[in-house]
Amino acid sequence: MSDAALLNVVLYLPVLGIALIALVREERSVRGLSLAVTLVQFLLTAVLYVRFDGAVEGLQFETRLPWIPDWGVYYQIGLDGYNVLLVLLTAFLGPLVVAGSFTAIQKDVKLFYAMVLLIQFCMLGTFVAQDLFLFYLFWEAMLIPMFVIIGMWGGERRIYATFKFVLYTAFGSILMLAALIYLVYSLNESTGITSFAFADLYRSRLPIDVQTLLLLAFGLSFAIKVPMVPLHTWLPDAHVEAPTAGSVILAGVLLKMGTYGFMKLGFPLFPDATRLFATEIMALSVIGILYGACLALVQTDIKKIIAYSSISHLGYVMLGLISVDLLGIQGAMIQMVSHGLTAGGLFLMVGMIYERCHSRELAAYGGLAKLLPLYSVFFMILTLASVGFPATSGFTGEFLALLGAFNSSWQQGGGYPLVLSVSAVAGVVLGALYMLWFAQRFLFGADKAPHQPVADLSFREAAILAAIAVAVFALGLFPDGPLQKTELAARQYQELVRTERVAGAPAPQVIAIEGTAR
Amino acid sequence: MNWQAVFTAMLPEHLLLAGIVVLICVEIAAARPRGAAALSFMVLVAAVAAAVWLHAGGYVAAPFAEQYSTDPASSLAKAVVLALAVPVVLLARDEFEHSRFYLLLLSSLYGACMILSADSLLTLFLGLELMSLPVYVLVLLAFRRPESAEAALKYLVLSGAATATFLMGVSLLYGASGSLALSAFTAALGAAGDPLARAAVVLVIVAFFLKAAVVPFHAWAPDAYEAASVPVTAYMATIIKAAVLLAVLRLFGTVALSPMMVGLVAILPLASIVWGNLAAMRQSSFRRMIAYSSIAHAGYLFYAFLGDGPGRYEAVVFYVLVYGLMNLLAFASLPPDADDAVRDRLEHLRGLFHRDPYAAIMIGIAMLSLAGIPPLPGFIAKFLIFWNVMAAGYTLYAVLGLVASYLGIYFYLRVIQVLFMAPEAEAAGRGPSRGAALGASVLCLIPAILIAVLPGWVIARL
Repeated sequence: MSDAALLNVVLYLPVLGIALIALVREERSVRGLSLAVTLVQFLLTAVLYVRFDGAVEGLQFETRLPWIPDWGVYYQIGLDGYNVLLVLLTAFLGPLVVAGSFTAIQKDVKLFYAMVLLIQFCMLGTFVAQDLFLFYLFWEAMLIPMFVIIGMWGGERRIYATFKFVLYTAFGSILMLAALIYLVYSLNESTGITSFAFADLYRSRLPIDVQTLLLLAFGLSFAIKVPMVPLHTWLPDAHVEAPTAGSVILAGVLLKMGTYGFMKLGFPLFPDATRLFATEIMALSVIGILYGACLALVQTDIKKIIAYSSISHLGYVMLGLISVDLLGIQGAMIQMVSHGLTAGGLFLMVGMIYERCHSRELAAYGGLAKLLPLYSVFFMILTLASVGFPATSGFTGEFLALLGAFNSSWQQGGGYPLVLSVSAVAGVVLGALYMLWFAQRFLFGADKAPHQPVADLSFREAAILAAIAVAVFALGLFPDGPLQKTELAARQYQELVRTERVAGAPAPQVIAIEGTAR
Repeated sequence: MNWQAVFTAMLPEHLLLAGIVVLICVEIAAARPRGAAALSFMVLVAAVAAAVWLHAGGYVAAPFAEQYSTDPASSLAKAVVLALAVPVVLLARDEFEHSRFYLLLLSSLYGACMILSADSLLTLFLGLELMSLPVYVLVLLAFRRPESAEAALKYLVLSGAATATFLMGVSLLYGASGSLALSAFTAALGAAGDPLARAAVVLVIVAFFLKAAVVPFHAWAPDAYEAASVPVTAYMATIIKAAVLLAVLRLFGTVALSPMMVGLVAILPLASIVWGNLAAMRQSSFRRMIAYSSIAHAGYLFYAFLGDGPGRYEAVVFYVLVYGLMNLLAFASLPPDADDAVRDRLEHLRGLFHRDPYAAIMIGIAMLSLAGIPPLPGFIAKFLIFWNVMAAGYTLYAVLGLVASYLGIYFYLRVIQVLFMAPEAEAAGRGPSRGAALGASVLCLIPAILIAVLPGWVIARL
């Protein structure tokens, strides 16, 4: 089978899985089937990842078929340095989410796994799509399964939370749709071709005011998803009310849709507007880092601590991306994966303890290290990864992102950007503070919970967490492989964002900032 | 007169007429007439086939010069309208045994076909009346509660007002141009022209706004939709609306609107989208909610006329088809109940997923599609419209329309919430058997899936 076909198989496996689930009657077999589908999907994705060649520029494993020829819409999917890590992350978390829900979900099991597979399909589709129409289709379709997952299996205020989530995100999307139509239409006006392909859209030339408006529309949609302060208020509600699987998917992959959107579309499509507002975007990222960390510090609900820490961690991603420094960009890419692993893992662990003790109040817990030693070991590993302890994935990501931010602000001659970069470092300290304090109260404080004796991790749970721990260390100790596979994409992003593309400018020119390219 | 042209060009209409005649004969001859549903089903299928055949063959003829003509576009419009009526007949089979219902339905469809082939304002008027008159009776036919009579009267009076407005416009146009041909209207539409012709155009457009329930001429729709039975509401919400919009399409042709008309065709529909979506949020009756949703959708459809010629045609036909299919899918999947008023309450759908997963998923798909959430067909239909509006240069109107459409997401999602996330309703009263309705839902689902998977293929065939 050719590799391009393999990518299609990976993408459509969940759809096949949904069809099979509809036919199966027993709940046990539904679980087994979903696990099998996601596992196969992950293995095939791993094969693709290994075969992905970091030295080749542009798309690999590409499929391009006319879909709506009248509008120039193509069914175009493929892997490139931008999405390869995220596709792998999505496929990796799939089986863990499925296996992590075996005991937690007892109601409407068939629909639940169908929805998990559906969202898996939509997320992978969003990442691999190379045509703006297709991208939008998947991007928006993702709302439906998430709406159902939070609304059906969530906590007490699930209806409120799920409506808030959907209405927030849909508002951004509708403006993105308007911007998308305008963008493609103006491409048609200026060049005569009607195309939604990313590659073509990168060549569009727009006046600066139009670029600003379009960046605002696209950016609003992505910023809600990331989420960037002050558009983050849906996140704590959605995370807290969602079932464990929903939280893991949200934190693990969905939030990266926003940063991926900025990296693949928002900034490179409107480079001049991006450069114009770089400091403002940077300020918002740093505010996100600090504000998220401060909020995480004072939460009493353990799910909320992790939810707010997500806001903080994704701030680093945005910081790395807007620095347009090679190290920063690559750091952002690693940080996306790292956060997916650590936050996803932490949410899984919260789900496991909740199944045992039925409380999310931090005050109800204490001294778990003695009662649940295995659980505590994994929890410490993920905590340390989350605070960016060396040798874990969090270190690689945060360190590179901060380094990139410094580099670029230094070269620009200091000023506000430098002040912002320095303040971002305070986020690292705050991050260590709230996570370690959390772990201390949770694992080592006075013995409080559980009131009844509980079992330590089962084999299934231990296997899930071991997989995440292995990935966390692998990414922390051997970041070379992923860095090498994404380097060309990072360089391309860098060039796109630095190229002047205002309408009427003579020829595209790279605005060189000395010494940034290694 | 060329008899062969008369025969071929009007083949769909002839088939309908034959069906009507046979139904009347059976009604007179048989003591207990049966099989009316089956007969009208077959007649409709044959008529759809005839219309598709005429469209595919590119048949062009004018059997009655300057009054009535057939071309591929009108054949396609007929095919769409008649095809949408097929599920309605299936739906009705569970509720109406008597042949009266089918007689009225076929007559109304005959009128709809006539509108779509009309060449003069007079034929158009005949068609409009022929389409509307049976519907007044249809609303009353399911007389189950006192509100039905009130609603039917309201509908009759407001429709009468629309007719009067239309005739007034036509007479003004005749005074201004001395012609009753559609082309006279189209010419007046594009030109800045004299005030008389402009007034005529405005009156005619307002009449169509009334018929299609565009704000502020919408008040009849929620009452009429609520009081009628499910098949009749489905008929009004889809086929009547489709026929009215396709008639406007025929009237407007491909002419670009004059700036003054742009204001009229953009602002009232925009108000319609906003108000329809807002008012729908507060409804507790399913059919009332659908009525407000249809008011909003009438807004999107009139928006399409801001676009240019060919795109306008494509957008309206595609939208009407998708919108009709999705509404019918929802109506066909409504759970049965002996008490019509109970059946209509949104509460009745509570926890439907646990009672009847198939029906709940179907209604869910229909709602999400009407909300325009991809990858469902409703999104592509909406995209097509706003794409055309944007391409015609009305960026601001397009953005406002899209933002207004955002308002609608809430109440469609509320239905999903009721279906899936609410505890199950009290054991519902059993209704009549639902075999035919199931068939209707499958009949709507298959083309919907086709449109979602291969939109390009479908659009290329319009």
